[in-house]
Amino acid sequence: MKTITADFEYFSAATAGEALDLLAQHKDDDYRIIAGGQSLNTFMKHGLLKPEIIIDIKGASDLDYIKYDDKEGLKIGALTTHRKLEQSPVVAEKYAALVDMEVNVASVETRNWGTVVGDIVNADPAADPAPPLIALDASVVVASKEGTRSVPAEEFAVDLYTSAVEPGELVTEIQIPALPANTGFYFTKYSQLHGDYALASAAVLLTLDAKKEKCVNARIGLGGVGATPIRATAAEDILKGKKITDELLAEAAQAASEATEPISGIEASAEYKKELAGTLVKRVAKEALARAQKA
Amino acid sequence: MAKEKLKEYAIIGKPTPNVDGPAKVTGEAQYTIDMTLPNMLYGKLARSPYPHAKIISIDTSAAEALPGVKAVITGKDTPGGKYGLWRRFRELSDQECLATDKVRFIGDPVAAVAAVTEEIAIQAVELIEVEYEPLPAVFDPDDAIEDDAPMVHEDFPSNINATRHIEWGDVDKGFAEADYVREDDYVTQPIHPAALEVHNSLASYDKGTGRLTVWSSTQSPYFLQLGLSDALKMREGDIRVIKPHVGSGFGGKNSTMPDSVNAALLSIKTGRPVKIVYNRDEEFQTTEHRTAQHMRIKLGLKKDGQIVAMEVKTIVNGGAFTGLGATDLYLTGTFITMPYKIPNYRYDGVRTYTNTVWGTSIRGFGSVPGKFCAETQLERAAKDLGVDPLQIRKMNAVYPGYEAPGQYTFESCGLLPCIEKMETRVKEKWPKLEEDEGIGFAAFAYMSGGIFNWIDTPYAFSSAHVKVNIDGMVDLYTQASDIGQGHNTVAAMICAEELGVGIEDIRLHLGDTAHTYTDLGAWGSREVLMNGNAIKDAAAQVKNKLIEVARLKLGENIAYDLVSKNKRVYLELRPERGISYYDLVQDAIRANDGVPITGVGHYTPHNKGMISPAYGTGIMAVKAKTDKETGAVVCQDILVVHDCGQVINPLGVRGQVEGSIHMGLGYALCEEMPMDEGNVLNPSFVDYKILRTRDMPEIEFIEVPTYEPNGPFGAKEAAEATIAPTAPALANAVFQNTGAEFVAPVLKPETVLKAIRAAAAKKQGK
Repeated sequence: MKTITADFEYFSAATAGEALDLLAQHKDDDYRIIAGGQSLNTFMKHGLLKPEIIIDIKGASDLDYIKYDDKEGLKIGALTTHRKLEQSPVVAEKYAALVDMEVNVASVETRNWGTVVGDIVNADPAADPAPPLIALDASVVVASKEGTRSVPAEEFAVDLYTSAVEPGELVTEIQIPALPANTGFYFTKYSQLHGDYALASAAVLLTLDAKKEKCVNARIGLGGVGATPIRATAAEDILKGKKITDELLAEAAQAASEATEPISGIEASAEYKKELAGTLVKRVAKEALARAQKA
Repeated sequence: MAKEKLKEYAIIGKPTPNVDGPAKVTGEAQYTIDMTLPNMLYGKLARSPYPHAKIISIDTSAAEALPGVKAVITGKDTPGGKYGLWRRFRELSDQECLATDKVRFIGDPVAAVAAVTEEIAIQAVELIEVEYEPLPAVFDPDDAIEDDAPMVHEDFPSNINATRHIEWGDVDKGFAEADYVREDDYVTQPIHPAALEVHNSLASYDKGTGRLTVWSSTQSPYFLQLGLSDALKMREGDIRVIKPHVGSGFGGKNSTMPDSVNAALLSIKTGRPVKIVYNRDEEFQTTEHRTAQHMRIKLGLKKDGQIVAMEVKTIVNGGAFTGLGATDLYLTGTFITMPYKIPNYRYDGVRTYTNTVWGTSIRGFGSVPGKFCAETQLERAAKDLGVDPLQIRKMNAVYPGYEAPGQYTFESCGLLPCIEKMETRVKEKWPKLEEDEGIGFAAFAYMSGGIFNWIDTPYAFSSAHVKVNIDGMVDLYTQASDIGQGHNTVAAMICAEELGVGIEDIRLHLGDTAHTYTDLGAWGSREVLMNGNAIKDAAAQVKNKLIEVARLKLGENIAYDLVSKNKRVYLELRPERGISYYDLVQDAIRANDGVPITGVGHYTPHNKGMISPAYGTGIMAVKAKTDKETGAVVCQDILVVHDCGQVINPLGVRGQVEGSIHMGLGYALCEEMPMDEGNVLNPSFVDYKILRTRDMPEIEFIEVPTYEPNGPFGAKEAAEATIAPTAPALANAVFQNTGAEFVAPVLKPETVLKAIRAAAAKKQGK
């Protein structure tokens, strides 16, 4: 029943390099990195986390960027807030559904502080960014003093509230490839309240052939329906290489639903969430298809 | 007929910004939670982890040894006073300062600590070792009344806390004459008032005088004064309760609670001020909520839709203590009949003790669960009979002068004009519906203050003291409570109107038991009517004294009537002949041997039935769309046609109506308190879902004014009536669109989806 945060030692980094130095130094200590603090503060206030050391990277302004070019795609620096992603003109132009995703992430106040990278590192399976990042085939750049590595978005969350980041490592960037021609991308979450965590969410990316008849690539990410965000590969395979019809979408939706492993909660049973995920996939894929046909 | 009529006033009925607005929006307003005193200690409560257990021993030595801890108390250190709101029946004063022999719910306090910081107090609580012997516990009201159920309180066999029987007419004959009879079962969910300011109190005991001062986030300083007097076995007059600004109560801050009692005990022990602030988890786990009810209603109608008989049985999950639950039980039995003419009626209600946190008087108390059941049942009956949902409400609507025998009488009543207005407006507003949309209705009525004296006061229900000073400044003293609903503004408006001065001439002194005459506080929408009458009475006395002096000064023909308005006293028919209020006050005080002009007004209802002197009424329409694949319900639009008598402050009424709808819609869509063996599963604002601005629909709000003879300037309640119709109107909208029927108000998507499928299966089965 606590609302008071336990004491901790505090370090701040003014650059990504300083952050990596601090992380190397405290690699074996009980530390947490803070950027926006929107999840960490809550955990600490409830006594669920009591880190002895806080490493604050909020001052590392070299991590605060959104870059885009047609070759490399989109790069989102670790200090990019949800609000900045939401208001980025290039994101609106190239990945409009990410803006749709952002406007329903919590509240404006939370989006002003919370970072997209912090959100995925927190690895709440019901959080919003991971499913669209999976569908977009994004990768997460993880750095340490020893070097950097790249983790595919669908492998980044390894368990409930647990990411692939190892002690001493810092996520510096999310990379999203530029979308090929004839591609449509869409995302929807279902939550009872605006800005609430998803009961279920679905992101779908579809690429059609030059004649816009057959689906040449499909990627589906699901949120809120398992211990981690899920990539629904079986459902993707149903769509690939075929002309997408309502019947095929229903089949893919069923496969996506079967790929989920939700747990029952106050808001809804596992059974309901499973069905809801399928319904969302069907609807989101339909919209992604419409967008691909217009693209 | 009312002698007085609705008329044009200088202040009443004019949109008036909240007098506390600037202080609140700039953060200057002081709430108890903002307060500190020099030398203040921080208190914390050690609470039971068991729903029901014997206390074998409590070892506080480690806590006492912790540096910074100044006092640790357990049940044996308390004076042993029991307390509760139902003081008229002392056996229902069932709360202890700290549990002595056994704990009755998860969170029952067993010890309290005062320390120099809150952190140390928390650590000290963790060092208190309590040995418990867990006892079998009971959580469900139906189980609680079984013969072999564990007893929550030893003096209450079968855990029956209260029962109520209400009956009029000949119910069996009524059902025999009915063309159509249906029975429906409901199980409503508990919800929490979820006030933004948590329960918190600051107590300061003066060892020199033996007197105690308590600042608290309370709805009624007087109730708290009495509760503390009972708990601490102290004289009422030795306890001063001060109510600073309150971050709302919604019914959950009528009862005296362990924060005030134990802050006081710790202050008495240490001689230093002690503050106890609940955290949000404690707020959800251990403070009062709206009770769950298991209800069965039998309704008999003629084939044209006329109601001929109704029978209601309910069993309420009361929880560990009484609170205002016994009143809730009675009101459930009466409000469920409103606002309809029901010639033959029978009600049996039982409130059970169980090993959960207890339920009480949450906003719209007595009306919210029952109205969900009755209004959804009426909708089903109308559909079966092929009667239009508005028509069935209209033909059964109460009217001015309607009496439910021995229970209640509507004096003013604008329900029929409200329904007629709704008939035309709803067609204009929503001429065409989409395939996934539906419209649902629910009619409503709610009290303007209760005629209940469970608190057992010999004082008037409301009183006010008005004093006019030499510069014309008016001091208004009353114990009435502004808890965010805007009563400070209303009190100033009523006082200023009656005296004929401006709002800026009124200086408010509200909510301090040491300096004010008694008022029972803010609950049951009572302050406008009851406190308003007392203020108007006091102000009229002062005005009449001023008019006497004016009459002497002006030397006019005694046949002329004098009025006081717009800061002048003048001849009603010769307005140019008069005297400035400010000049008049100086003369009046001189003539009064230098003593400021005062009046003490009071109000207690007499011969007004069992419930209330007056009722706000009206009808609500909700337009909602339902996603038949996911069960998601979106409340798109709300239309309310409302009769609250003379509107005192249109801005305040709008705020109260919208606030009620917000709570009603939360009850309808997402608010609930699931419990597992007495443990509240969602004790935070992450998991306890409250609608935010973006979740609220547009609300169109039409006032149909009436003149209420019992209210000041013809006013009656506006703060609570519109909560109860919201959930059933929404459920009725979904029912009209999909045929789905609901046993509980909370329309979570899964519940809706199941109900849609059940309705479809039922249709196919036919």
